[in-house]
Amino acid sequence: MSVSKVQYSDEEFIEGLRRGDNDVLKALYKKYYQLVLKFIVNNNGTQEAAEDVYQECMIVLFENASDPGFSLHCQLQTYVYSVARRLWLKQLKKAGKTFLMKEDEEMDLADVSEDLQVYLQKESDLERLRLSMDQLGEPCGTLIRDFYVHKLSMDQISAKFGYTNADNAKNQKYKCLQRLKRYFFESRHIEQTSEKRL
Amino acid sequence: MKESEVFDLYLNGGLPAEDTRQFEQNLKNDAVLARAFEEHKALIASLELENSRLGLKNKLKSVHRELFGENTRILSIQKENSFARRHGKTIAVAASTALIAVLATVAALSTGGYLLKKQNNEILELKRNVMELKYSNEGIVEGITMKKSKPVYAPANLEGSAFALNNKGYVITSYHMVGSADSIFLQNEETERCHARLVFADQTIDLAVLKVDNSSVAKNWQVPYALKSKPGEIGESVFTLGFPREDVVYGEGALSALSGFSGDTSMYQISIPVNPGNSGGPVLDEQGNVIGVIKGKITGAEATGFAIRANQILQSLKNSAPDSLKTELLVQSNKKPVLRGLKRPEQIKRIHPYVFNVLVYKLD
Repeated sequence: MSVSKVQYSDEEFIEGLRRGDNDVLKALYKKYYQLVLKFIVNNNGTQEAAEDVYQECMIVLFENASDPGFSLHCQLQTYVYSVARRLWLKQLKKAGKTFLMKEDEEMDLADVSEDLQVYLQKESDLERLRLSMDQLGEPCGTLIRDFYVHKLSMDQISAKFGYTNADNAKNQKYKCLQRLKRYFFESRHIEQTSEKRL
Repeated sequence: MKESEVFDLYLNGGLPAEDTRQFEQNLKNDAVLARAFEEHKALIASLELENSRLGLKNKLKSVHRELFGENTRILSIQKENSFARRHGKTIAVAASTALIAVLATVAALSTGGYLLKKQNNEILELKRNVMELKYSNEGIVEGITMKKSKPVYAPANLEGSAFALNNKGYVITSYHMVGSADSIFLQNEETERCHARLVFADQTIDLAVLKVDNSSVAKNWQVPYALKSKPGEIGESVFTLGFPREDVVYGEGALSALSGFSGDTSMYQISIPVNPGNSGGPVLDEQGNVIGVIKGKITGAEATGFAIRANQILQSLKNSAPDSLKTELLVQSNKKPVLRGLKRPEQIKRIHPYVFNVLVYKLD
């Protein structure tokens, strides 16, 4: 429980996130959770929803902060609140809920559209990827992930999946990849016509 | 070699130098190849990003568990937003008119150098901030909401108490509760949530008079008490009904002073422990006359409440209410003291239907 005592400045939080410092992450997570929880529970949300949105919000911050060109143009608190607010609004809208927002009067809002746009665009790509991977099924999905994400060699994959040799595995991977590309890039065109955001 | 294999080797730096040059040359000349390569890269980037988001998400989840524990579930207060569907229009209309009113008020107040929030900085007003209470009362709320199968509404921004003024659908509450509301609803065990609007306010004594919109709500009202025009006496026993939580709560005590905070003669001091949510509730004497309206308590002092004097309210209705309303408002429902001589539980049974939980919604 060495988390609590240290006080970080906004810059130190960002720096720590970039470094992947776990203590900083914990301290940051602790610092603004109540703020977001309060906002979401106040606006038609459950605690689970708040937890989800807050974690998403941390991911937005993390990914944007990882970009060396990122600089915080407002207080971190304002940033977190603004992102959480937009994410939650989006969810409410998606669920077809129009709702009277109860804002936290103490809080300023910052323009986080750009940061959010980047995140959401990627998230929509990932949503498409997940669907494509579902379509792809097993063992293809695991095979593809093992090769491209976990960077296993063809020999390792061949042993893991019980193929007779690496060439055989390579051949399987090729077929899986071709199918995945078809699902992934075909669905893109359908998606783009249907989704207009925020 | 398959195209994608070349891509992979190139990206991993596994392609021999000569092939690398050749491949790069091909990319420049062959748009189809270049496009296939871009797609290939995009797909891999997505796979990697998905993995890293998933990893981060899991890490955050474990941080959450570590910081806040596993069993911190709070029950959802509303599943469906049936409230907005059913009352959306009402709110929108109420909101737009109220917004203008609020803006006007704010303008008036700020030009006078008089800030709404600072109005009663010595006295803690007892409107119930729903949010704050929700955490502490979660157990209770859970118990209640599980049993009821009624429509579940969005939590109000503020809640408090109110009581019927007469049989004509007029209801008294505290101005500090409803002054900046966009929509106001009343409810209790007998009366289903109904919309009410502000028809008269006297800020100087923190008085607000509401009227229920739907006249059928008040159709069968037989308000068993009246506002007492004579001042109360120190030491007489008094009681109140109000909504510091979802169910009506009884409190009793004595009239302890004929003035309120720092000698304010429009108030009484009473020794009833009052809580957030009691604001706007009636204070009744032993005979069941309304002698006041709960306004607030002193910060830090328990079991000390303040109530606006009923005679002040009558005075205000007489002097300040618009002529068109005056007669309606001053109709006292029961000249005969129907509650006199009844035992307390019996009195409460009769009064209970006319004490309401006020739910206030604000647009920010």
